[in-house]
Amino acid sequence: MKAALKHGFMLICAAYISLPIVIVCLSALNGGRSMLFPPKDPTFARFWEFFVSEPVWLRSMENSIIVALASATLAVLITWPIAYDQWKRNTAFSRALTGLAGLPFALPPIVFGVGLSFLWTFVGGLGNIFTGILSHTALLAALPLVTISIGLQSIDRYHLDAAQTMGADEPTSLRTIILPQTLSYTLSGFFFVVVLSFHEFIVIFFVSASAYSTVTLQIFNSLRNGFTPTMAVGAITFLLVSIAVFSAVARYGDLPRLLGADPARKDN
Amino acid sequence: MSDLATASYLAQADNETRLNKTLRPPFDVVHRFSAQSIIMTTIAAILLFVFLSPILLVVAVSFGEKIEGASWVWAFDPSNYARVFVGIGWPDEITLLYAYKLGYTLAYAVLGSLIAIAFAFPFTYFLSQCSRPVQAAWLVFILASLSMSEVFIVMGWDIMLSNRSGLPALFKATGVTEWLKETGWLAVLKDWGLANPRNVKFKTSQMATVLTMAYLVWPYAVILLYAPLSRIDRSMIEAARTMGAGSFTVMRTVIVPVVRIPVMGTLLLLFVYLLGAYVTVTYFAEPAHQTLPVSIYEAIRGATLNAPFGAAQAVVLLSTAGVFIFASLWLSRLAEKRGR
Amino acid sequence: MAGLVLKDVRKIYGDVTALQNIDLVFPSGKLTALLGPSGCGKTTLLRIIAGLDTPTRGSLSLNGDDITTLPANKRKFGMVFQSFALFPHLSVGENVAYSLSISGVEKSTRLKRAQELLDLVQMADFQDRRIGQLSGGQRQRVAIARALAQEPEVFLLDEPMSALDAQLRETMQVELRLLQQQLNITTIVVTHDQREAMTMADEIVVMSNGRSEQIGSPTDIYQRPETPFVASFIGKANFIDGIVRGGRIFVGDDAFDLEKPASFVDGAPVQLVCRPENVELCSVDETSPNKLTGSVSFVRDVGPTREVFVETNAGRVICEMPSSAGAFVAQGENTGVRLRSNSLLCFPGQAPAAAGKQTLASASHQENVAA
Repeated sequence: MKAALKHGFMLICAAYISLPIVIVCLSALNGGRSMLFPPKDPTFARFWEFFVSEPVWLRSMENSIIVALASATLAVLITWPIAYDQWKRNTAFSRALTGLAGLPFALPPIVFGVGLSFLWTFVGGLGNIFTGILSHTALLAALPLVTISIGLQSIDRYHLDAAQTMGADEPTSLRTIILPQTLSYTLSGFFFVVVLSFHEFIVIFFVSASAYSTVTLQIFNSLRNGFTPTMAVGAITFLLVSIAVFSAVARYGDLPRLLGADPARKDN
Repeated sequence: MSDLATASYLAQADNETRLNKTLRPPFDVVHRFSAQSIIMTTIAAILLFVFLSPILLVVAVSFGEKIEGASWVWAFDPSNYARVFVGIGWPDEITLLYAYKLGYTLAYAVLGSLIAIAFAFPFTYFLSQCSRPVQAAWLVFILASLSMSEVFIVMGWDIMLSNRSGLPALFKATGVTEWLKETGWLAVLKDWGLANPRNVKFKTSQMATVLTMAYLVWPYAVILLYAPLSRIDRSMIEAARTMGAGSFTVMRTVIVPVVRIPVMGTLLLLFVYLLGAYVTVTYFAEPAHQTLPVSIYEAIRGATLNAPFGAAQAVVLLSTAGVFIFASLWLSRLAEKRGR
Repeated sequence: MAGLVLKDVRKIYGDVTALQNIDLVFPSGKLTALLGPSGCGKTTLLRIIAGLDTPTRGSLSLNGDDITTLPANKRKFGMVFQSFALFPHLSVGENVAYSLSISGVEKSTRLKRAQELLDLVQMADFQDRRIGQLSGGQRQRVAIARALAQEPEVFLLDEPMSALDAQLRETMQVELRLLQQQLNITTIVVTHDQREAMTMADEIVVMSNGRSEQIGSPTDIYQRPETPFVASFIGKANFIDGIVRGGRIFVGDDAFDLEKPASFVDGAPVQLVCRPENVELCSVDETSPNKLTGSVSFVRDVGPTREVFVETNAGRVICEMPSSAGAFVAQGENTGVRLRSNSLLCFPGQAPAAAGKQTLASASHQENVAA
């Protein structure tokens, strides 16, 4: 009885969370130009439009992918040494860098977006996709920083001792023990950035200065003409990417542990 | 005695330097030290440039001066701040337009985060009691919905609340509207701004704004509460049960006291996040009830084009957020101390 | 000098002295056990020998060369860790070949070498397994093979049996000892289990509170403990407080004679130590030296031996005899106990720190007390 109540509550929450998403997804099937629910004259024509016939969506999809992959790569490259230094040496300098790297994520994104738009206006490059990449790198670097730090902390120090007694110096340990053992954590951080960058709106809104658009921007820009079912295809695509990525993280990494569950408690 | 101690200390220090020196060949030390310091310096420079300087720029620009009909110039002009709080005509007259915007920003954020926590807390508690694979599956679902862009979520709610399709249409089709009219509830709803003479109307309304905001941060709330709740020692709950506590008593006497501080911390973080909500407010709040982020956008990219004033509003938002972030950091440190 | 020599090694962490004045020689080709309760500094000492920690003072030399400042990755002493520390991201074979692969040995050579080592520890068919698929005993064999792959001059094992269950432990102790003798490699084993130390070691170093208490062969350490701590930590012992008077030792009115007269001044407090197997039951009326009387409080048969607990006015004395021995006393009876003078040991008084107030101390109890 109690268990039924619990599961009932959880399922109601899940339904509440899924409802708008499901509605968006189903609206993609609308035959006409307007977003109706339930969809009228169901058709898959909108998918054709999104992925093939309307270049504006293709281009923004391309931009989304470029920004997401590039900023995720940069974020991992920047945060790896910071996390490693903090873990290995824990100096005041490394702690300061850690704090700085996590700072943008903790602020209201609109403030950071405004600041970035000033920065790129002054140094040039506002509206250049490269500054968009850097902006997302800064905004989302906190995520790989956290996952990599968790990964480093999960390394058994005796493994490093063992490697040392077998002749490994610090660079060798880094290459043969630390990097392979933190690979899944690094990848998780990478994919967290990819997914959040896909969906991020306000910062890229400020720094793109309408010179290019990602999918979220394109949707927002098209809103003035009302929602169209083609946008919903974008939502479906992104949703599927998110689910695929997080499932992969859950499958190959320890998702509960990444989110802070007690590592010792494997089963309960 | 003290001489002896000094001597032994020196001998020891000498010994240790010798140790450190011979641990690695000196050349190797120099070589690696520089490679490492080059990397760290580069990273520090990137962080200062891309991570920190935007925030400093916002502060600097906020003191700038707007030139009518043109752009703006650097200055040290606190009038932008005065305008946020008491209006442009101060001290002759006081306009609270932007102060109200700040008020709405805070009110929406408080309500949204409170509602989200109220539903997320029991959910996460039940979640933490599931088996590990089930937890992982739920977490995938939560993360997927968490990462959904505000744009998509607003799109979904817009369809659900719009008059042509969605709830109002559903109400009409199922006869609920008729029933509301007959019982007089429609008039009440109309007084609350949730109906027009013909049918219920959820868009635009403050209720839609707050509910969408709560929806927006609900997955964040689950993720943030997940760590403290899943770390609760199960045997503690079982011990309370063996001493005769029912589930509600366990919740009241064991769980809530243990996680009170993390819950407060979560609430603050959600609140800070909602301070910056933009799309939701532009879509669901009528212009008179809109918030600072919207007018920040207006000032910087939109119609009014007054960067210093936009920056000043951003600084006000930032300081508000800063105060609450520090409060949450302080709380989490407190929680850590308690935990030990 | 051949072998590994430690001179005046000290380790100080802030205010805590973890090791003080350790002078030890580990002869080539021998197996030495560092034995002591947890927290006695034995693992710190092993880590210093491996080069993982640096001593605050003192020096280490190997076959005459000073190695005090040589880092662990240059010493390359093979080490087996308590948790085995096998790398989960590598297969069994890759784990064993790790030291060869990072020093650039060609793939086919190192795989062949790994196979030989796995043969040696009877794990021939496991080369491609993942670490997660191995049982505790198999992991230990792999850890041993891995540490031996670099042909270390010194082989170190930190509590190698503690992750194994009791039965497997006994088997592995014998196996490890045979392997060590076969390879004739200088080996140091850290353990808190006296049985394990006595099974494997040529020489045992008993440690307590950062000092080495006694160094000797297993028989020496057992038969002739030099301190009450060693007596209590190795095997079981009865402790009886007495006073020296005229070359004899008096416990109350009962006199005790040692084989060699004690060289203590009159009136000095001393402690008599006697192993339970050297205590015999005798009749209450018997009037001979080295005898106490008391009542039997507890009798237990533990397989081959029987233990009788006798509460005397000098405390509890435990007497151990073969189960087959006829004379049976029942709980509550009065009896005499006689301590054989040829195995009676005498130490200066003051209760030893580790033994405390206990009159009987088994190794496992001692560990708890010291911890």
